[in-house]
Amino acid sequence: MKNLPNLRSVAACACAAALLAAGASACSSSTAGSSGSTSSAGGTLTIQGDTGNPTLVENFNPFTPSTELHGTYLIYAPLETVSTINGSYTPFLATGYKFTNPTTLVYTIRQGVRWSDGTAFTPADVVFTFNLLKKYPALDTNGVWSQISGVSASGNNVTFTFKAPDVPFAATIAQTPIVPEHIWSSIANPATYANTHPVGTGPYTLKSFAPTQYTLAKNPLYWDASKIAPTTVVFPAQATSQSTNQLEVSEGQFDWAYTYLPDVKATYVDRDPATNQYWFPPGGTIGLFLNLTQAPYNNVNFRQGISLALNRATIAQKAVNGYMSPASTTGIILPNEQKWLDPNLPGQGVVTQNRSAALAAFTRAGYTLRGGKLMGPNGQATMTITLPNSFTDWAAAATEISTELGQVGIKVSLDEPQYAQYSQTTQAGTFNAAIGGFGGTGIPYNDFDLALNSSYAAPVHTPTVNNFERYDNAGVNQALGKLAASTSPAAQQQATDKLETMMYNQVPIVLLYYGGSWGLFSTKHFTGWPSASDPYTLPTNYNYSLLTVVTRLVKA
Amino acid sequence: MRYILRKVTLFIITLWAAITLNFILPRLMPGSPVDAALGKLASAGVPITNAEKAAVEAQLGAPHTSIFVQYADYLRNIATLRFGTSFSFPNQTVAETIGKALPWTVALVGTTTVFAFVVGTLLGVYAGWHRGKFGDSSVTVGATFFGAFPPFWLGLLLLYWLSFKYGWFPIKGGYSPGVTPNWSLSFLGDALDHSVLPGLTLAITTLSGWVFGMRNNMINTLGEDYVTFAEANGLRSRTVALLYAARNALLPNVTSFGLMLGAVVGGSVLVEGIYSYPGVGNLLYLAVTNHDYPLMQALLLVFTLSMLVAIFVVDLLYVRLDPRVRSTS
Repeated sequence: MKNLPNLRSVAACACAAALLAAGASACSSSTAGSSGSTSSAGGTLTIQGDTGNPTLVENFNPFTPSTELHGTYLIYAPLETVSTINGSYTPFLATGYKFTNPTTLVYTIRQGVRWSDGTAFTPADVVFTFNLLKKYPALDTNGVWSQISGVSASGNNVTFTFKAPDVPFAATIAQTPIVPEHIWSSIANPATYANTHPVGTGPYTLKSFAPTQYTLAKNPLYWDASKIAPTTVVFPAQATSQSTNQLEVSEGQFDWAYTYLPDVKATYVDRDPATNQYWFPPGGTIGLFLNLTQAPYNNVNFRQGISLALNRATIAQKAVNGYMSPASTTGIILPNEQKWLDPNLPGQGVVTQNRSAALAAFTRAGYTLRGGKLMGPNGQATMTITLPNSFTDWAAAATEISTELGQVGIKVSLDEPQYAQYSQTTQAGTFNAAIGGFGGTGIPYNDFDLALNSSYAAPVHTPTVNNFERYDNAGVNQALGKLAASTSPAAQQQATDKLETMMYNQVPIVLLYYGGSWGLFSTKHFTGWPSASDPYTLPTNYNYSLLTVVTRLVKA
Repeated sequence: MRYILRKVTLFIITLWAAITLNFILPRLMPGSPVDAALGKLASAGVPITNAEKAAVEAQLGAPHTSIFVQYADYLRNIATLRFGTSFSFPNQTVAETIGKALPWTVALVGTTTVFAFVVGTLLGVYAGWHRGKFGDSSVTVGATFFGAFPPFWLGLLLLYWLSFKYGWFPIKGGYSPGVTPNWSLSFLGDALDHSVLPGLTLAITTLSGWVFGMRNNMINTLGEDYVTFAEANGLRSRTVALLYAARNALLPNVTSFGLMLGAVVGGSVLVEGIYSYPGVGNLLYLAVTNHDYPLMQALLLVFTLSMLVAIFVVDLLYVRLDPRVRSTS
């Protein structure tokens, strides 16, 4: 997320038309059907693709999220996609689901669907896929078999039996890619299978693969083919260098790009105001995670003091150019999940800076400000904040936090290792404080559960990815259990309200500002993109949001 | 003969030390390949779970054996020229991966190194011969100016002005997207078009070293008695400059040229990164960010081997070039 100072100032004053002409000539000078020239010819959709450094690796195995190419999401349809904004469902291979009781989930499978090789798709394929995940735990990246105990088909229904009530887990099952039994049953090791001739039920099939770009073609056998607008989807590889990617986006090579751009109005929108639009909704919450196994962070008063000492508006401004607003400390992402917000909490749960209240809270924790130092039983309060060095927005936030906490007498130092070491330190619980992400699934239960459920809180030195701050609160566990088991909206709301209030009062994580989702769209060839007025999913092109968006596009 | 024998023994010991360092260094990096793979997802804002970590661990088959067993395997693999499968490119061998990237780097960096050597040395001869005059100062000042550019910064400047603003050159890559490398004329032309900017960046920033080296050697040599003697004999000044002074001043530059050629395969991480060039510099960057030990080891091995071979060859060449080496042995 490096700024490009020259890009910002020059693009702002330069004549947009001249620059665009320059961009067009750059495209036409390339020999074989490059993205820019073909997309004007017909229904071609160009999406800024995967990072290829130096070249793309052909991998369409839908169970390898860290290496599969993004086009895989358009080839393998799941039962349903779930909006990362608000958890709403869009049906694909299923027509709907219901819980017959909190541990029995029944999906009704769509009829008349065929695989792209012509074979009929049946509920047996769904059962086969889930059993494949059981047989090869390396494929089970979402931990399906830690929650379910069995899967079976009868007629058009597929029934999942849960080990314990977990209603929100329906979303994880819904988004499991379904693979054909007649092909995958004979694959020797599906975990390392590159799947270069993918056969799926999605709206697209693989047309061609080259080391720097791959192309998908519309699947004529897709069950809803008449609703699919783009006949071809092209994914040119991204560069390693973020500056190079930003120039390409600015040049207008893509119908859909996902890139952070500074001063997006000048660098993107103004270059073609009639068609270029951006939508930067919040996609998660960035917070200060305190190690709750250490004093004084295990003291709720101390945590409240830290929360009150911070000016979240300034932090958000410094971190993400003011694109994002201060976060609600309830754990609810606003405005995405507005319907879940407990209206009884003051100011939507956003805590504003209040130094005297902060000092009062510190006093309750046994710390007083003397001579510019916050003194406690063991001398001045200190804090080391760990964060990965490549996340520049987090670094800017951490610098501002250390300034603001310094003003209430806490001595803050920053520790900025590589991501791999950051994750090791945080997972082992040997950190002091760390910047981290909270939520982003679009489903409050999943967000709260992964961050707060004490079942994840391993002892220090035993690594855990989730709840690495090691929060342990029986009340929270109980509320989570209730939320997991409730199927009625009213009961779900009640349990969520309780979790929000606990987040707000107990401050297990000092939530700061929303992490952005950087969607850049052109309406030149297609319309129907997600936007603030039609926020049906996040503008991320590297998960099942891709499928949701592409199937909703219409020709401009 | 004893000289050569000593050099060969030294070569083998250095090789073993380098190979062992190549094994140790990547493993000194904190964190594991699994952490690195999950980090990529996390930086995209994907929520990570314990289940996901366990699955990725199983997929990568991260090593669980002891470091000594790994070292023994590693030595055996080198002896049999097998480097295993990289974590980043699971469906091809490490040798294939490097084999695809190496020609690009050798062509780009090799050509620019030769170009910079020839042009820089000639400019140095010119500046040294005209020392203290206008020609000397303009060459020296110019070389200082361009030599002071950090390559990545010059790269970004050229990219912004010549590609983005004026569209004269493609923005990134070694060839147009969607094309598979082949030996057709149109592809070679396309590749050439893509290599102009990275080549220019590398050539401009490395030129000054050759200029200064050659100019200073020239000035030293011009003070020698045999040059004065040649001048006193009334030889043409061009003959004196090129055949008497430059020929002898060239020796140290040839040594560093040999070493530079050895370093060519190391590529240029920053410049290749900016232009997204499909060479080994970019590959090394990828291997490091992914904690891809097999790929990193093989790359470092290729780098050190070519460097060692270059030094070895220069050493042997010296036996021919410089009679003093022969006589002391």
